[in-house]
Amino acid sequence: MALRGVWHLRKLVVSYSDWGGSSRGIRAFMDSRIPSFKEANPHLELETELIRGQHPHLKAFCKNNNERVVCVRNMTPEEVLLHATRLRNALGRKVVKLKTRHVTKHLSVQQRIICSSRTQNLPKTHS
Amino acid sequence: MAHRRSLHSLARLISSSSTVAPRCTVKSLASILPNHFSTAAISSSSDCILPDSEATFWCSSLFSRNRARHFCSSSRKDDDEGEDEEDGDEDDDEESEGDYSDEDEEGARESSDSNSKPKPPPPGPVDKVARAAEIGYKVVGKLRPSEKVFKPYEPVYAVVQIGSHQFKVSNGDTIVAEKLKFCDINDKLILTKVLLLGSATQTIVGRPIVPDSAVHAVVEEHALDEKVIIFKKKRRKNYRRTKGHRQELTRLRITDIQGIAKPEIKVDPKPTKPTKPSKPTKPSKPTVEEQEQVAVAA
Repeated sequence: MALRGVWHLRKLVVSYSDWGGSSRGIRAFMDSRIPSFKEANPHLELETELIRGQHPHLKAFCKNNNERVVCVRNMTPEEVLLHATRLRNALGRKVVKLKTRHVTKHLSVQQRIICSSRTQNLPKTHS
Repeated sequence: MAHRRSLHSLARLISSSSTVAPRCTVKSLASILPNHFSTAAISSSSDCILPDSEATFWCSSLFSRNRARHFCSSSRKDDDEGEDEEDGDEDDDEESEGDYSDEDEEGARESSDSNSKPKPPPPGPVDKVARAAEIGYKVVGKLRPSEKVFKPYEPVYAVVQIGSHQFKVSNGDTIVAEKLKFCDINDKLILTKVLLLGSATQTIVGRPIVPDSAVHAVVEEHALDEKVIIFKKKRRKNYRRTKGHRQELTRLRITDIQGIAKPEIKVDPKPTKPTKPSKPTKPSKPTVEEQEQVAVAA
């Protein structure tokens, strides 16, 4: 995600096993897809990590000091790429249910006028 | 009608024998007929009701139907064979899925494409633009780091439609729409379906869209919403299904609203504290405020 044009994913760690069967897809991903992914996202720091005997996963470090881990065992290279892209596109914030689809800091212009005119026209209670 | 029925039954019988030539007259039919059907009756019927030409037409049409049926059965056989072939190929695909080398993948894709139903081709650039316009946006280009499109707040608002959702937005707001497929992060968009524009003194209502107006936005995020659990249950039937779903969403930040006169923001200097509290004066009567103008776009 990019907030006002600033990318929030800083670092992506691709951990895999050179022996395990569940890492077959991610090994193909590393051979075929990682160079182009790196080219498309020059702001991103990409690291590979060999952990033998473990299932593969992607670990994303965000600008807000959050990290998110996605397991990619037994996935095809396309699926791994999809998850990597989602991590790039996503915000590092915690996923919560949306209460509103519209976030604004400012009260409506016309509503402000209506409110002010109402307060001015209020009848006096105490003389 | 009775004669026609008899002809139908005749044709069925002959088709069952399957040794008859496709085109024949009623007379030749009569010669082939089995014993239980009286030839005399048929010949008399053909003589009295159907002229020869019409009878031949009926027979030929019936035979052609039968032939078509025959072909259908043969085609079914062909289909079955084709399915068998497909099954075989699918097995091959499964075998080839073991290794994720590029060549194997491409081969598997080709074979699967050739066997399965022809998939619609991926949308081209023109098609993408058309589909995006249908939803209500247009991709302008990438946001460069040197560009400064994020402006401070302006007291103007607009109602825009994206897909089937309407949003009341002003400069600097963020909105969450359903996923916009044909744009990437940091793309600049123009939201074309502007339904209403408003400021403190003016309102422009579109019918339904305000012409010569646009809302500019930047794509900030493609993300998944929180997981929703779909739980189905039927009582006393031992039936329970649980399914999860995460909706794909796109977050946009509004950068500019065009098509309405923007009032200048008055920057008031910081109010200085009065030294002595003056006597409370009677509040003057509220001045007649500027009448709000409402215009309807042509």
